[in-house]
Amino acid sequence: MEQNTAQSRRERYLTFFLGEEQYGIAIDRIKEIIALMKVTYVPKTPHFVKGVINLRGSIIPIIDTRLRFGMPECEADMHTAIIIVEVEKVNIGFIVDRVEEVASIESSSLGAAPKFGSNVDTDFICSMAQIEENVVMILDLLKLFEADELVSLEQIQQTQTKGE
Amino acid sequence: MTKQEQVKAIFIEEAGEIIEKLDINIIRFEENSTDFDLLNEIFRGVHTLKGNANAFGFTRLGEFVHHFEDILDHYRSTHESIETHNLELIVNSVVVIQEVMHCELNEIQELPDSYPECLEEIKALLASKKGACEKEKVLPPTEQMNDLTAEFGSDITPSMDELLNQSIQKHKKMQTEDLKLYKIDLTLDSDCYTRGFDHLLFLKMLQEKSSAMESFFEMQNVAKLEAFHVHENSIGLVTSIVLTPLNFEEICEYFEYLFAHEYKVELLAYEPQVQEKKDELTEVTTKTVAKNNAPVMSSTAKSTIRIDTLKLDELFDSVGELVIAQNFVSQNEKIHAIEDESISRTIETLSKITKRIQDRVMSLRMVAIRDTFDKMKRVVRDTSKKTGKELHLHVLGEDTEIDKTMIDSLSDPLVHIIRNAIDHGLEADAKARLAAGKKVEGVITLKAYHKSGNIVISVSDDGRGIDKEKVIQKAIERGVITGDENLTESQAFSLIMQPGFSTADTISDLSGRGVGLDVVKTSIEKLRGKIEIESKQGEGTTISMVLPLTLAIIDGMLVQVAQEIYIIPTLSVVESFRPERDIVHAVKGKGEFVSMRGQHIPVIRLSDLFDLETEHLDPWDGILVCVETEAGRIAIMVDELVGRQQVVIKPLGKALAKQREISGGAILGSGDIALILNVEELRPLIESVHA
Repeated sequence: MEQNTAQSRRERYLTFFLGEEQYGIAIDRIKEIIALMKVTYVPKTPHFVKGVINLRGSIIPIIDTRLRFGMPECEADMHTAIIIVEVEKVNIGFIVDRVEEVASIESSSLGAAPKFGSNVDTDFICSMAQIEENVVMILDLLKLFEADELVSLEQIQQTQTKGE
Repeated sequence: MTKQEQVKAIFIEEAGEIIEKLDINIIRFEENSTDFDLLNEIFRGVHTLKGNANAFGFTRLGEFVHHFEDILDHYRSTHESIETHNLELIVNSVVVIQEVMHCELNEIQELPDSYPECLEEIKALLASKKGACEKEKVLPPTEQMNDLTAEFGSDITPSMDELLNQSIQKHKKMQTEDLKLYKIDLTLDSDCYTRGFDHLLFLKMLQEKSSAMESFFEMQNVAKLEAFHVHENSIGLVTSIVLTPLNFEEICEYFEYLFAHEYKVELLAYEPQVQEKKDELTEVTTKTVAKNNAPVMSSTAKSTIRIDTLKLDELFDSVGELVIAQNFVSQNEKIHAIEDESISRTIETLSKITKRIQDRVMSLRMVAIRDTFDKMKRVVRDTSKKTGKELHLHVLGEDTEIDKTMIDSLSDPLVHIIRNAIDHGLEADAKARLAAGKKVEGVITLKAYHKSGNIVISVSDDGRGIDKEKVIQKAIERGVITGDENLTESQAFSLIMQPGFSTADTISDLSGRGVGLDVVKTSIEKLRGKIEIESKQGEGTTISMVLPLTLAIIDGMLVQVAQEIYIIPTLSVVESFRPERDIVHAVKGKGEFVSMRGQHIPVIRLSDLFDLETEHLDPWDGILVCVETEAGRIAIMVDELVGRQQVVIKPLGKALAKQREISGGAILGSGDIALILNVEELRPLIESVHA
C-alpha cells in the first residue's frame, strides 16, 4: 500500500471487490462501512434495490452493487459489507463482496475509462487506475445515483401533473 | 449575512410576532374594552415596535406607530372608556400597521390608502382628547422633565430637596404593608471606577428587588467634555428613593464592599395608606418598568427560548433510537437470563426514564391551539362585518395541544371553513333566521378536542344545513357522479369537497359550500388528516378536521404478509374481518370482490401486489382489512393482524421516492423496519394488475 498520502496529487480511494474485479470510490463520499444486516424488502423497486436497513434510527436504502452492474447475485459471507455513501446529502448503502483497502492513487496514473460500445453502461466508471497487479475502476457515484434518481423524479412529476 | 442584516432579521421576526400578538389582543380588547391590563400589554408591544421600527429606518411604520401609541397611552393613563367608533379606529389601525409593515419589508414605495386616512383620524382623535383633558395630561410630561433636568443639573429645576420630598411623598402613597421605603445616599469617592464600582451597578441591583425606585444625580461637578476624565467619578451625590420588601440589613449588604462613608441608608417611616391607592401602585410600577427598560416584575414572566425545529427533529430522532435500544435491552433474553435483581431493577428504571424523555421531547413540539383560535376571532369578526350577519363565536378546547408544524398549515383551511360557515352556512339574513325560529344572532362554534388518538378541530354553525338532494343533483350535473350510486349521507356531503364543486357559479341556494373546499381537503390530507361533515337540514353543519396528534407519529395497524410486516394507518381503517366463503366473488377480468352490506368492495391481495410468497391462497384464509380511500373502500388482504401501535414515521429517502405505494417506514421495537402503506395508491395499481 502506498504510504505517502501527503502529496497533493494523490487522492485516496476505498477499494472493494465484486467477484474478481476491484473498484474504487473517492473516500470523501464514504460515511462508514458496516457488516451486512437485515434488509427489509421494499416492493415495486428495481431489482437491484435490495430494500432498506435501519442504521441507528435512520432508514437507508440499500443497493446490491452486483445486480446494479448486471453481475449474478451471490450468497453473502463474512466478507460481505455495506458501504454507506453520501450522495447529494442522501445516504445510500452499497452491498459489496469484500472491502479491500484505502489506496492513494496519483492523479496522473488515472486513465480514461474504456469504451465498450453503446450497449454497455459504463457511464459510472469515471477512470481506471493500476494498483500493483490490479486494475481498479473508479466509480462516479453521482452518475450511478443520478441515473436512477433523475428518471424517478421525472416519473413522479409526470404522474403528478397527470393527476392534477 | 452581515451582522446588520442578522439584527434586522431578528427585528423583522420580533416585529412580526408583536404585530400578530397585537392583532389578537386588540380583538380581545374589543370584546372587553375595560380591561386596562390588556391595554397596558398592548401598549408595551406597540412601544417596542416603535423603537425597533425607528432603529431600522422604517420611518413610515415608526411614524404611524408613534401616533397610535399616543392614543393608547391616553386611554391607558386616563382609564377613560373608549367610544365604539374610536375602538373601531384602534382595531383598524392594527390592520394598517400590518399593511405598512408589509410595505416596509418589501420596500414598496406606495403606502395603502388606509395609511394616511387612518393616521389623520388618529391625529384628530388625539387632538380632541388633548384639548379635553389638558389637566390630566400635564402631570406626566413635567415628571419626565424633572428626571431629565435633574440628571443634567439644569438651573430651572426645583432644588434637590424639593424633588426629593416630592418623590418621597409620591412613593409613600404607593407603600403597602410589606414594602418599606428607603432613602439611600451614595457618595462614591472619585476613584470608585478603578475599584470596580459605579452608581448604576448598585442601582440596577436594587432595582431588581424593588417595586419602585427613583434616583437623583447631583451633576454640578461633572466637567465639560474637554476636561472630562473617564476614570474619575465626579458625580457628587446620588439619592435614591426605593420601595422594596427588603429589610435594612439586606439593603446594607448590597453596599458592604464600599467604604462606610460612601453610602447612607435611611429607613423612612411607614404611614399606612388607604387600600384604594393600590391601583395607582400598579400603574406607577409599570411606569418604572418602561423607564428603566428592565423588567422589575420579571419573576412572573414565563421564560422561553427559541430553538431551531431542525434541532428538535434531531433530538426527536435520537430519542427514537434510545427507545429502540432500550427495548432491545429490556427484551434481550440473555439479559433476562441473568436473573439478578439489581439488573432487572436498573432496566426497569431505564425504561421509565426513557419513556419520560420520550414524552417530554414529544411535548416540546406541541403547542396549544389557542393562538390559532385567537387569530380566528379576527376572521369571524371581519366576515361578520362584511356579510352583515350578527353572530357569536364560541371557542372550546383552546388548550388542546397540537404539533407545531401542523399548526402553521392549519390556519388557512380553518379560515376557509369559518368563512364558508358564516357566509353560506348561516341563513342569509336576520329575517330568514327568525322565520326558521332561531335567534337573530348566529352561533359559530370552534372546538378542538382529542378523539381516539387523534385531534379533532371542528367548526359548527347553527345555520340551514346541507340539502343532500341538492348536492346529489348538482354532482350529477357536474358529472362528478352518475346518479346510480346509492350514496350515504356522509358520502353525499363529502361531494361538496370535490374539485368539480368549486366553481364560482355554484347556485347560492345550495348552501353554496364547496367554494374552494377541495383546497381545504387537499391541505388537510397533506397533514394525514381527513375531513368529516355532519349536517342536519335546518339545524346546522359541523365540519371536522380529524388530524393525527403529530406529523411524526401515526397510529398504525400492523399486518403481516408472508414474512414482512406492513403498517396501515389506523385513521383510514374501517374494519377488518375474515370473510365467509360465500361473500367473496371473482369477476372475470376485474378481480375479486367482497360483498358487504350491499356494497361490493374490491379485494387487493397485498402478496400479489408486492410479489410476496404466501400460503394463503384464498381470501377466506386470510384477513381482509377494509380501508377508506378517496376512490372508495378497498379490502386489503393480509395473512394476519399483528397489532396496533404508535409508530414514528421515517421517510424512505429520495432514492425510493418513486415508491408510491409506500409512504414511509417505521422502526419497530425489535429494530426491524416496517413499511407504511399508502392506501390511496393501492387501488389504481390493482386495477392495472387485473387489467
